[in-house]
Amino acid sequence: MPTPFVCRSISALAVLALLSATAAQAAPSVTRLTPPSELFSSGKPEPVIARFLPGQRFDLQATLRPDVGQKIVEARFLIDGQAVAATVALRDCASGCTKGLSAETAIATVRAVSIDKPGRHEFSIVATQADKQTVTARGNFDVVPFSTAMGPKVKNVIILLGDGMGAAQRTAARIVKGGYAQGKAIEPLAMDSFPATALVKTASLNSVVTDSSPGMTAYVSGNKNNNNEEGVFPDDTIDPFDNPRIEYLSEYLHRTQGKALGIVTTADVFDATPAGNAVHTSNRGAGTGIVDQFFDDRARTGLTVLMGGGRKWFLPAGTPGSERSDSNDYAFSATDPHTSEIVKRWGAAPGAKDKQRDLIKDFQGAGYRYAATKTELDAAADADRLLGLFAFSNMNVALDKINGRRGVKTGLSGAVVDDYGLPDQPMLDEMASKALSVLKTQPKGFVLMIEGASIDKQAHNMDTERWMLDTIEFDRAVKVAQDFAAAQGDTLVVVTADHECSGAALIGGSMLTDAALREMGNARGVNNLRDKVVGVYERAGFPRYRIGRDGYPEATDIDYRLLVGYGANADRLEDWRTNATPLRDSQQPFAKTEPLKWYPANPLERDDAVSEFMVTGQVPGESAVHTATDIPLSAFGPGALAFTGVIDNTDVFFKLAQAAVKGVTAPADASGAKRPKANKTPVAANKP
Amino acid sequence: MSDKRLMTFRAGLAASLACATLVYCHVPARAAATPETATATSPNELPFSAFFRRPIGPRGLELSEALLQADGREMRLTGYMVSQETPQPGRFLLAAQPVRMSEDADGAADDLPPGTVTVLLDESQRERIVAHQSGLLALTGRVSVGRAEEPGGRVSWVRLQLAPQALAPGAPSTAAAARP
Repeated sequence: MPTPFVCRSISALAVLALLSATAAQAAPSVTRLTPPSELFSSGKPEPVIARFLPGQRFDLQATLRPDVGQKIVEARFLIDGQAVAATVALRDCASGCTKGLSAETAIATVRAVSIDKPGRHEFSIVATQADKQTVTARGNFDVVPFSTAMGPKVKNVIILLGDGMGAAQRTAARIVKGGYAQGKAIEPLAMDSFPATALVKTASLNSVVTDSSPGMTAYVSGNKNNNNEEGVFPDDTIDPFDNPRIEYLSEYLHRTQGKALGIVTTADVFDATPAGNAVHTSNRGAGTGIVDQFFDDRARTGLTVLMGGGRKWFLPAGTPGSERSDSNDYAFSATDPHTSEIVKRWGAAPGAKDKQRDLIKDFQGAGYRYAATKTELDAAADADRLLGLFAFSNMNVALDKINGRRGVKTGLSGAVVDDYGLPDQPMLDEMASKALSVLKTQPKGFVLMIEGASIDKQAHNMDTERWMLDTIEFDRAVKVAQDFAAAQGDTLVVVTADHECSGAALIGGSMLTDAALREMGNARGVNNLRDKVVGVYERAGFPRYRIGRDGYPEATDIDYRLLVGYGANADRLEDWRTNATPLRDSQQPFAKTEPLKWYPANPLERDDAVSEFMVTGQVPGESAVHTATDIPLSAFGPGALAFTGVIDNTDVFFKLAQAAVKGVTAPADASGAKRPKANKTPVAANKP
Repeated sequence: MSDKRLMTFRAGLAASLACATLVYCHVPARAAATPETATATSPNELPFSAFFRRPIGPRGLELSEALLQADGREMRLTGYMVSQETPQPGRFLLAAQPVRMSEDADGAADDLPPGTVTVLLDESQRERIVAHQSGLLALTGRVSVGRAEEPGGRVSWVRLQLAPQALAPGAPSTAAAARP
């Protein structure tokens, strides 16, 4: 009978609802516990998510939900059952928290905790609400011991980060730059000559597909971050600068050893990868605050060299071109312990909402030489600190910079760099060379991060030749670092990526000359541009590009060219030929006349569009995306041979720290690098 | 999906070639000055190349007299609509070169040229999102020069305020823009 069933169901639901309501008010709860752990999330002790070096600083934090009508009045953190002897900052969520949290929700934080003792540690939060009910939750983390050293410490660490550079990008650069003969690479890339290679897993804290923020910070903090977040764990507030922090390699080595920090990129310097070496924020887009922290916290990071684009963040708000805004700046409270403890315990600058700040002037006042062009960079011969801002946002890519130097006028007013008003931009290897000349005078050594940023950005655009040349530009910077390390003998160099981008794949070679390829483009369609062009297996042959004296291909539209496909692509129209400008449009009536036929608005509307060869995308939108594919890492110098196997991106941090703090654990490599000078004092094994 | 996209693309192309029937249309080649060829001799034409001194000096942009004199006046700008992953209602960006932003991936680490203009729709159309349109566009509106923070935090230095009828069907080509 339906009716009694319904009645019984309603009764049962009412009882359940009552029980549920009673349960909900039975006790306060812990909704987030930081550092993140599976012990807290799933009750399983492994895998351990958070790992730290002995003495590496990090924050403890818990989000606490009291019963309705109650508030949290006390919170204590314990590690291995012992109370943490530091101020617990307790705030509510009356304002400034993420949506869905009640005003009574509390956030308890202890800043800058560190543990020296290696091994597994359990930590817990014990919170009490006004009616004396308590709640507790526990998590765990590891302190990774230093191993017994087999050799001396390295003085310098150089991380070369090819953003978005997977195996395909590396291989493409090798084929284009060096060429192959009967199956053998004629001139391998510099990174190919590194003696050790590992395969790196790149997942972030909240996705198998990372973005550049956690992709970078994993290498230099030893921990997983959420996508879009840098040097912090996620929290429940909307302030992008108050998240629980993790100490960076630069901060750790500057605090414990006095090492300097250098950051060089072809991107805007506030971008995720450069910022992910020195700045702590949950919003990679908070430009004003990010560049301010670069400067404000230079005494904690040892920042000595900062080069790239991004001048718009350094100009006072009243200066044309400035992008500074109080809305993305940072300022810590002097009275609220939630953020004042960051200043007190981390020693961080308090910051200020100061969009009128002249940050270039501040850098100069602090002794940094400022360079706005390659010419000025070259002239900064005696600089011991250096700021280089060569563009307002990202620097132009290698192909366009080289075309500018060669006088190839594919832009509207000359070369593309002329269109941008910035014709005198340095190449990445030139910036790397200058950075090393500045940093090598640092008596305690340095950490230098050099990023080839637009390998990723142009892979997003599926602009094959542009990311190929940016990879070649990046490899030239690798060579600069390798030569430095080989000469010094005390420098560990790793070359890697933060993630792969676009699912690039070298699918073969063109079966046609470039003239014939053009004809196929005019003939249009898949039958011509795929079936008559794409040579697979032995029909791909060995594409041969002629390299100019500047180290870049004389032309990229060669006969029998290398062909690249994309596995993580948006829809694109393909004619296989080089896009003369970053983006080009030849379809509009207004653009029929030279030179205005250049520059498309998106990959669907490049000159490829005339081809009518549509390659259907697997992702929505117009950009290719990052992939979860493992990426290669190569290492050179003392300690290099520790980088082998399939490793997690966070493992890299501990290997770098081992080499810099306790000494290398791998035998000397056979790459020709000098052995580092022996330490004056014997290297002792670390005692747990 | 691909066929549909291609058809859309073709349709857009055909439509742009028949601009008289469009809500917006491209400027005929013979009618519009290019960003480079327009000069101060065209009193209502403001080329991007005349915005600031080039090459750019070591600090900010040095705004030109032509740009400063255009402040508050009705002018025509010819450029490319910036392709944004997340278009903003009531506004879009116009640049001297076609640029595609990957805001989701890169935020403000972008390839926008200095001097990119924010084009503002009329207040009555502030919720309207204008779909991206490729090719050169000539837009007529009132220029304002100076710092302004936009929703989302971006700072603009040059804005072009379109008239209310700029988006209306049959709008004159001198106020042409992208298809809605």
